Amino acid sequence: MSPVTTTLTCIACPIGCALRLTHEGRDIVELAGATCDRGAKYAAEELIDPRRQLSTTVAIEGARSARLPVKVTRPVPRDRVLEAVAAIHRLRVRAPVRAGEVLLEALLGEEGLAVVATRSLGRVGP
Amino acid sequence: MLGRMEGDYDVVVVGGGPAGLAAAIGARDAGATRVLVVDREDEAGGILLQCIHAGFGLHYFKEELTGPEYAERFVARALDRDIDVVGSAYVSGAGLDSDGTRRVRVMREGHGIRTVRSRAMVLAMGCRERTRGALHIPGTRPAGVLTAGLAQRFVNVMGLLPGRRVAILGSGDIGLIMARRLTLEGCEVVGVFELMPFSNGLTRNVVQCLGDFGIPLHLSTTVVEIHGQDRVDKITVAPVGADLAPDLSRCREVACDTLLLSIGLVPENELSQGLGVELDVVTQGPRVSSTLETSLPGVFACGNVLHVHDLCDYVTEEALLAGRFAGELAGGVKRPRDNIRVVPGDNVRYCVPHTLAPGREHTIYLRSERPLRPAAIRVGDLVRRKLGFVTPAEMITFRIKPDVLDRFHGEALRIDLLGEPAGPHLAGAEP
Ligand SMILES: Cc1cc2nc3c(=O)[nH]c(=O)nc-3n(C[C@H](O)[C@H](O)[C@H](O)COP(=O)(O)OP(=O)(O)OC[C@H]3O[C@@H](n4cnc5c(N)ncnc54)[C@H](O)[C@@H]3O)c2cc1C
Ligand code: SF4
Repeated sequence: MSPVTTTLTCIACPIGCALRLTHEGRDIVELAGATCDRGAKYAAEELIDPRRQLSTTVAIEGARSARLPVKVTRPVPRDRVLEAVAAIHRLRVRAPVRAGEVLLEALLGEEGLAVVATRSLGRVGP
Repeated sequence: MLGRMEGDYDVVVVGGGPAGLAAAIGARDAGATRVLVVDREDEAGGILLQCIHAGFGLHYFKEELTGPEYAERFVARALDRDIDVVGSAYVSGAGLDSDGTRRVRVMREGHGIRTVRSRAMVLAMGCRERTRGALHIPGTRPAGVLTAGLAQRFVNVMGLLPGRRVAILGSGDIGLIMARRLTLEGCEVVGVFELMPFSNGLTRNVVQCLGDFGIPLHLSTTVVEIHGQDRVDKITVAPVGADLAPDLSRCREVACDTLLLSIGLVPENELSQGLGVELDVVTQGPRVSSTLETSLPGVFACGNVLHVHDLCDYVTEEALLAGRFAGELAGGVKRPRDNIRVVPGDNVRYCVPHTLAPGREHTIYLRSERPLRPAAIRVGDLVRRKLGFVTPAEMITFRIKPDVLDRFHGEALRIDLLGEPAGPHLAGAEP
């Protein structure tokens, strides 16, 4: 395999160094542009398994608001964010619900990726 | 307790966002026994309730929470301390008794107007977003032009989409976060247009909210016209020169049905002005002493109504202090007046608080006028410290130890930011 060079912006701190990353598959051959060590760590994670935190809302019935905010307990693979959101949006919840309540386990079939409510909503009306 | 409002109070807090809740807790912990929080929404939590993304509480709770989680924890803490919290209630003004007690006017749904007596008051009304009127964008007045925060409320709380094909003016964090949010909801975000040559939002938001989804960020570009009869159908954008004036010879049209504005926040100070509180022309919030007391004795201010914060944790920290001082004042603690004026110097847009007193530790919040790197802060000729990198998007907090001011004998203390102008390098940003 021949080395490939990509650029990314380090987000480990607000400076936002432009990193130039040369890698062969999963091995980083050369890293330029990082002003500190955290840049290297960030680059390695971004290269091997980039993940993102994900929160969205789901429809809720019988509550004072139409949407219930939810989050995924651990970061999801960056390239599967849209797929994950689609699966979460299929959920339907009925009030009452408590913050922290698990609404879906093993999102994307991955152990440890749970979808939980991020607020409590009481039941209103019948 | 939730919904209870009776008798006289030591401290009345106006606004039940993170600032108001923390101020109430600060007052209670400083010994005030009767504390009331009033919010015009039907529940406490403020803006946090619509900020469903993570990023709150890293400083205060040492874990990363979403806005609603942060709010729920604070409401629980307030109720645990027997703080009265009422919703659907609006504070419209306050009078002053001859003994210094405030008579706070509360209009409450289903209860009419009530006057509540209190020894001290904390203003925590938050901020609102600048709207199209603030920019004077020419064109028609169709539906589909709204602030990013309003869109956030539509989507996250009410479950309504503001449109399908969205352009965003301004690269503040709320706009960036909404770019991602709307993309996840199936909208097409056609681009973010920023007048300045740098983003006003955090780098992490530029990368994760725009970069991940291939949404272009156009720096040094602005919207010069909005088109559409009933609904927006396109906008005209143009690059701007160093003087920030648009170059109309290079303008182009962008098709969209929605334009979100993320062009800054303004402290919500109608009530403060009605009370006669003196405001700072730069922050547009009250001028405050080192105890976060406004020009009116016994009236304190904290959170976004005082100056716009980018991080909720700083709001909490500041509000705990304001609440503590309000609680102490209600308990009869008297302090000498501050005798040092803080003067914003080179590259400093503003500093809060506006005055200091020797003998105590102080936290000074300040904002730079431009990105600087490497940067340093200079406080009179007392302290000089390296800061690394500063940008207007991130508030700087700086602590001054008690002994430092003991070495100062002047009346005005000037604070400068030193350094070379710089821009964060943003891969993917294009003019
Ligand atoms: C749209 C938007 C999005 C934001 N997103 C983020 C984010 O993602 N992360 C972050 O860290 N910060 C964010 N911020 C900044 C955020 O404002 C602060 O973190 C924090 O919420 C400010 O707290 P606050 O208590 O000062 O104001 P708010 O949360 O705005 O609370 C003020 C409260 O006062 C009430 N009120 C106002 N006037 C009266 C009155 N006369 N009588 C009774 N009640 C009144 C309002 O109803 C409101 O509930 C955002 C701000 C806005 C405007
Ligand atoms: S490499 Fe270091 S200095 Fe540069 S952005 Fe990353 S964390 Fe900040």
